[in-house]
Amino acid sequence: MKLLGRLIVRLVAVAIAVSLATFSLLSAAPGDPAAAKAGFAATPERVEEIRSELGLNDPFHVRYADWVTGVVQGDFGTSVLNEQPASKLIGDAMPHTVELMILAQVIALAVSIPAGIYSAQRPNGWFDRLTGAMSFGMLATPAFVLGIYLAFIFAVRLEWLPAVATDLPGPFDDPVENLRQLILPALTLAAGMIAIYVRLLRTDLIETLQQDFVLMAQSRGYSRRRVLWRHAFRPSAFSLLTAAGLATAGLLGGALIAETLFAVPGMGRLAVTAIFTEDYDVVMGVVLLLSLAFVIANFIVDALYAVLDPRVRHGNR
Amino acid sequence: MATVETNAAPIPEAKSFAPERPKMGVVFWTSVSWILLVIAAAVLADLLPLRDPDALGIRTGEIQRFESPGVNAWFGGDGQGRDLFAQIVHGARPAMVLSAAVTLIGGSLGVLIGVVAGYVRGRTDAVIMGIAEIMFAFPAIVLLFAVGAIWGITMAILIPVMAVLAVPSYARIVRGVTIAVAERDFVDAARAMGASQSRVVIKELLPLVALPAIAFGFLGFGLVIATEGALAFLGLGLEQRTWGSLIAGGQGLIREAPHLALIPATAMFLTIMAFNYVGDGVRELIDPRPIVVGRKRRADGPRPTTASASDALLSIRDLRTSFPTPGGVVTAVDGVSLDVRTGRTLGVVGESGSGKTMLLRSITGAFPVVGVQREGRVVVDGTDLLSASPASRSAMLGNEIGVISQNPLSALNPVRTVGSQLVEVMRVHRAISKAAARARAIELLEQVGIPRPGRRVDMYPHQLSGGMQQRVTIAIALANEPRLLLADEPTTALDVTIQDQILRLLASLGDEYNMAVVLVTHDLSVVRGWADDVAVMYGGQIVESGPTSAVFGDPQHRYTQALLESTPRLDLPIHSRLAAIEGQPPSLVAPPAGCRFADRCAGADERCRSEVPVLERLGSVEFRCWHPGQGEAR
Repeated sequence: MKLLGRLIVRLVAVAIAVSLATFSLLSAAPGDPAAAKAGFAATPERVEEIRSELGLNDPFHVRYADWVTGVVQGDFGTSVLNEQPASKLIGDAMPHTVELMILAQVIALAVSIPAGIYSAQRPNGWFDRLTGAMSFGMLATPAFVLGIYLAFIFAVRLEWLPAVATDLPGPFDDPVENLRQLILPALTLAAGMIAIYVRLLRTDLIETLQQDFVLMAQSRGYSRRRVLWRHAFRPSAFSLLTAAGLATAGLLGGALIAETLFAVPGMGRLAVTAIFTEDYDVVMGVVLLLSLAFVIANFIVDALYAVLDPRVRHGNR
Repeated sequence: MATVETNAAPIPEAKSFAPERPKMGVVFWTSVSWILLVIAAAVLADLLPLRDPDALGIRTGEIQRFESPGVNAWFGGDGQGRDLFAQIVHGARPAMVLSAAVTLIGGSLGVLIGVVAGYVRGRTDAVIMGIAEIMFAFPAIVLLFAVGAIWGITMAILIPVMAVLAVPSYARIVRGVTIAVAERDFVDAARAMGASQSRVVIKELLPLVALPAIAFGFLGFGLVIATEGALAFLGLGLEQRTWGSLIAGGQGLIREAPHLALIPATAMFLTIMAFNYVGDGVRELIDPRPIVVGRKRRADGPRPTTASASDALLSIRDLRTSFPTPGGVVTAVDGVSLDVRTGRTLGVVGESGSGKTMLLRSITGAFPVVGVQREGRVVVDGTDLLSASPASRSAMLGNEIGVISQNPLSALNPVRTVGSQLVEVMRVHRAISKAAARARAIELLEQVGIPRPGRRVDMYPHQLSGGMQQRVTIAIALANEPRLLLADEPTTALDVTIQDQILRLLASLGDEYNMAVVLVTHDLSVVRGWADDVAVMYGGQIVESGPTSAVFGDPQHRYTQALLESTPRLDLPIHSRLAAIEGQPPSLVAPPAGCRFADRCAGADERCRSEVPVLERLGSVEFRCWHPGQGEAR
């Protein structure tokens, strides 16, 4: 309950800060949404008309209040481009981005947990050194560079996977095709996280494996697997969890890149298109939602922490 | 490692591994060369004998449309036949200028802020770090993207915005170093000598925080290159030609002419990699990993030949435990033999680093370090634990053999309840239902003197007091009614008032379960009060052993005498009581040739320094000393 209260306070604080920041940023933008909407052939009178229709002549705080009132009611404004409600565009795009992020996290954890554990068991063994070098390389590879390599190898050369995800079916309509199209963008997103997770888990686990309670578990005759999973891994999972929460910020940025590169019809791509068409209602909606998603993701991490770590649950740490 | 350093083996003296500067490998110098090459390209692009990067090859006929890389054009040509090699060389400049500017401006601002935050501390620090936290939370690329989309991307906009975004990272690193450094003596000394605050910061602190900041600067440099590329990729590149814009341009043509995207992408990858690698190398300069000397030590010295007591439950013969460290191979247990019969308690006593904890660990085989080698025999109830199969060893540990460790809080898994840890040890070793195991767990808790066991069973270790925690570890050790109990300083971490209770409990349980007990301790009074027999360890060997009353009543070895004579200082923590003997314990990497105690012994002569004392026997006591029992000679 206390956690939930803290979440709400934080959400509201971030929402106000981010919405004010984006709103003023976009208000100061040189482009003219009214002119954009009126089209090239419009007369100045027509533009002026649209301007007052859109309330662009009102003072800043009135426009901000209007916008916030709308958002609270689920109205993110209207896309200038095709008169569709911004909430619909965002609503259509969101599931793809959410799926992409979840997929990326799942891949990252599925790869890095076994790799990290195996490395930690034999520090400086061949596997440890190999994963170390690969992590180092992956950290040095910008997402768009990796994406291009992946597209070239798997889509152009091997022709195993599609290079674009434009006709992306829903995950429940056609799960196989959906996965086929999302796997490359998800890998692009996951690579950086894998590198971070492996290094982190390895370091943490090496330390945990030297701790007394692990040695004690060993000296009670427990099997290697029991010691590793039941005793060592869980305490080590905490820092991994924190990293996963923080990585969400990187994921949001990475989604811009991965979605653009592989033409995934998600929020990142929507934001990129919207910004170039000066479709500011859409941009603001996306930025606001992404920031809130970040706060929520970190809240989930905090909550999981409490579930996994009794020391936190009892406020004893 | 910390456990080993304090309890098991002495840290090899610093002189045995002089802090050598780490050698930079081939990759490091290749990286440096690559960076220099890229910088040279950025600076000299106009002077190099290159094609004009804007010349249209399809018009001049020099380069074909989408020409593949080859002799004519090294990196091939683009859609208009422009030379890709020339474009890449020219494209190096904007990213280098941007990265250098951002790194210098953001870096120096960050260093300044970090030093101030770490030096002044207090509210200033809290505010600065609070702002940094918020900045970390927001995805930088999204912000840059929004800024770029609105005002366009130019150097004049990118440099300040990216520099500001870089500040928190530098500030955080430098703050940490500053806090560590500011607490060192010489800064205090400078301050005490009347140096002004700003003088202290500039002359003493800055040089020390410079290296970590520079190391991070290399990483940050690479990051700026990547970010510029990402922006260009999203269509928000600088107006100049950059690697990012080349990649963005080539990306759509990945089927027709893959080289257009892949070559600049590889150039960028290699550059970022090089910067990261050099940054890593610089960081290693700060925190050099010690070089492994790897000196093998040969086993030597006569082996004690205690008569084998066949009725002993625990029988150790010529046990030798060694492990590699940066300073060489440490032989922490060197030729130890001992016997403990059922119903007896053996006290193992010695200074920190005498090898007594390592001796216990050598029985269970659970070590906090890797690469431990054990030789000899450790026979428990007829089974040699060193040569037994993993399965039969597992069946002994936790079942026939119970272990209690020094610090009860760290010995218990912090994230699992007391009950689940008790149930686990029972269910691993015997077929018992969960419910029955839980009932027995509560019973055990009651038996070790925990009030309201029905409630405590569902608590986590941190919810119990230190004494309670130790009672829990005892309960776990006893859960399967072991025949041998190994206790490693079971009372050291506890309150003086609790110590006696725990020892009393151990003694009564030992009687009740009819166990053989090995009790390792620093504390002679513990041995005197609770152990039937005593073994005195020094430098990884047992130097004197026998019935407690005999050894303490008429000590033969000079070391035992010194131990007993060093009056316990009650105002000092238990750990330092034995430190009253002057000098240091011997190196276990290269132990002294003769008697290991010779260097600290008042009565040592030439023979003591050169010849290893043979094991002698006087009544029920065994010892290794050339001049035994001559307390009056001192």
